[in-house]
Amino acid sequence: MSTEIHALAGAYALDAVDDVERMAFARHLTGCEACRLEVAELRATAARLADTTWTAAPPRLRENVLRQAARTRQARPRSPGSPAGPAPSDRPGRWRGRVAAGIAAAALAAGAAGATFVVEERRVGSQRQAAQSALDQVSRIQSVMAAADAKARQIRVKGGGQVAVVYSRRTDAAVVMCADLARPSRDRAYQLWYVRDGQATSAGVLAGGQNAGTMLLPGLHGVEAVAISLEAAGGADRPTSRLATVPLA
Amino acid sequence: MGQHWRGEVDGDQVAWSGRLSAVPSGPQRVLAGGPAPADQQAGDLADELLQAVGRGDEQAFARLYDVVAPRVYGLARRILRDPAHAEEVAQEVLVEVWRSATRFNPAKGSATSWIFTIAHRRAVDRARSEQAGAARARRVAAGAGQTPYDDVVEQATANLEQQQVRRCLQGLTDLQREAITLAYYGGYTYREVAELLGTALPTVKTRMRDGLIRMRDCLGVSLG
Repeated sequence: MSTEIHALAGAYALDAVDDVERMAFARHLTGCEACRLEVAELRATAARLADTTWTAAPPRLRENVLRQAARTRQARPRSPGSPAGPAPSDRPGRWRGRVAAGIAAAALAAGAAGATFVVEERRVGSQRQAAQSALDQVSRIQSVMAAADAKARQIRVKGGGQVAVVYSRRTDAAVVMCADLARPSRDRAYQLWYVRDGQATSAGVLAGGQNAGTMLLPGLHGVEAVAISLEAAGGADRPTSRLATVPLA
Repeated sequence: MGQHWRGEVDGDQVAWSGRLSAVPSGPQRVLAGGPAPADQQAGDLADELLQAVGRGDEQAFARLYDVVAPRVYGLARRILRDPAHAEEVAQEVLVEVWRSATRFNPAKGSATSWIFTIAHRRAVDRARSEQAGAARARRVAAGAGQTPYDDVVEQATANLEQQQVRRCLQGLTDLQREAITLAYYGGYTYREVAELLGTALPTVKTRMRDGLIRMRDCLGVSLG
């Protein structure tokens, strides 16, 4: 057990970590049975804290919930032989997917060709009219995350923040998440790069001034690393800097 | 404080397993009618109802609603403060409970734990996306997380489970309790909690973990 990451067990059980840390911690758990038990118990403990929050809900909530449930098809049960699934809140499930779909739809509408940036500032609640193409993007992201051969790497970015990459050779795609990067001015933007044979080709660019985001990088053939640089807004043809390089095995 | 980006698939792969040993599975009870369950049976009742919901039983869902909605809504209200937002989140969570009840496995944990874990995560995600930026920064700076719940009247009938949780919280050190309550009820990240409390990050992480461990032992939560 890596003690440094495992120190996050309490914060993780309390949902008090950011997404990059959550992902790193979840990866840590996959390799540590004892940690999984501890975290499951701490989560069950945290859930008990809800017992002190009893509050009478507006009566219409009951009507709305029951009516919406009556219209909602239930998820298919997992097949008996399938391995134990993660908790719904840890799974990229429907509402998580819908949120991501909403953001993905917005990013696609903004014309991010071949790459979907997920941007925190977007009001996800108002984006439920997610396009099917966005749902496809999300399901791609989910399939990378869930792939049996998925590997995760996390690297600090020069200037601040971190970039996490989950990639799967089998699904031939990577999901790149950046968080807490130094906030650039509006006319500067973070750009991601595929590195093949030491040559960088653009994999997409964040909006100017944006300092966090997630993107799906399809097509990993020959890709040995993913790199991030800071460029003029709109992106550059080749990187003028390398703030972080994440090697893919 | 850190920039958050939320609402994204995150690849968590934590198997959620075990069950509360303090809640032994009793003999099958009739689900419809009957008196309100005693505290120690409430967990079992929710387990049975959720399993029935997983078989598509809408009446069981209505009863499950009555058992858990006050806490799902109350938790969302506590974290989000805005009643309309809390109502939206509660509705999403409860419909999600209906939708994915087919996947609930009582051998792996209690129904209430499963439900409130979903509810907490959803409310926290919403809080962080709603309150990103300046407003949230101000709220953090003002330490609003410690503001008592002002305009919502908690149900006066504190049951044994509530009393037990409150008693166990009182058994923590001040720093453990503050760190845990700011994170859980305030929806703050541990980094924000460290800032709010003026405490070093590693200390906050440690207090959250050892505080929860103490809570676990006090509440008798055991999944092993």
